[in-house]
Amino acid sequence: MGREVSESCIDSLLTEMVSSYCNHFYANKPELAARRIEAIGYQVGHQLSERYTMERPRFSDHLEAIKFICKDFWSELFKKQIDNLKTNHRGTFVLQDNRFRWLARMSLDPTADDAVPQDPADFAESKAAQAMSMYLYFPCGIIRGALSNLGIPCAVSADISNLPACSFVVRIKA
Amino acid sequence: MIVCVAVVGHQNNPLYIQSFTEADDALKLHHIVHCSLDVVDERVNNPKKSGPTLNETFLGLLYPTENYKVYGYLTNTKVKFILVTTDLDVRDVDVRNFFRRFHAAYVDAVSNPFHVPGKKITSRTFAERVSNIVKSFGLSST
Repeated sequence: MGREVSESCIDSLLTEMVSSYCNHFYANKPELAARRIEAIGYQVGHQLSERYTMERPRFSDHLEAIKFICKDFWSELFKKQIDNLKTNHRGTFVLQDNRFRWLARMSLDPTADDAVPQDPADFAESKAAQAMSMYLYFPCGIIRGALSNLGIPCAVSADISNLPACSFVVRIKA
Repeated sequence: MIVCVAVVGHQNNPLYIQSFTEADDALKLHHIVHCSLDVVDERVNNPKKSGPTLNETFLGLLYPTENYKVYGYLTNTKVKFILVTTDLDVRDVDVRNFFRRFHAAYVDAVSNPFHVPGKKITSRTFAERVSNIVKSFGLSST
């Protein structure tokens, strides 16, 4: 029987971590804050992957490891599996979660949202989306940490199209 | 009796090595562990087995020497565990059981946020736990 952590505690911790890094430690350097948050995620993923792969045979290829992330790893973290996995068979994988738990209780600022639709370039700049993306560096880091510990160096980015759905793009480095 | 256990990282860097003998033969045991790494590589690159045992973490008996038997275990994260024992008739179940508990101890040790991945494991708790596992090796069966 594994020990469990209250979900609201994790939500609050994530929120607090992001706000500490963005507003206190690296107030004017969002890209530095992002790097730090990603690094924390990396360490977490690195350690979790060691634990969750304990009782299973070694993976023979990349796809098997990605499938493990989608199914068992995601179930351990979020009590659900990844909803959709796409790949171009050339080292890029898109993992889509239709209801990503850590975004489930977040909402975009409606005033910021109203101003958006006319210009897609504006959207990228929009403050709300930028703030939201800060929260995704942590899960990105977790995925990257888990995969690199399994011997798959990769880059992970996240993409929010419509809340609370979220997709993670994994690009495996050749 | 287990005379030596070792944890070796994915670049064949030693993470933890401990011998459990009275005699001053640590160097000899380290040498045996070192030799076994090649056997592990060989096993992994030319898997002979198929079916459910393919890619199993437990690698079984790596090689017997005159006085010792060497067993290996390779985790998903390419970390190797090596066990050197003087027992002549070792039961597979015992070794598997040992490695399972050893792996659990290792996972707990590297989950320590103060542990730097890829560096030697210096945790005293880990050392104690390992020596307990070593002491209880084979006891359950008798």
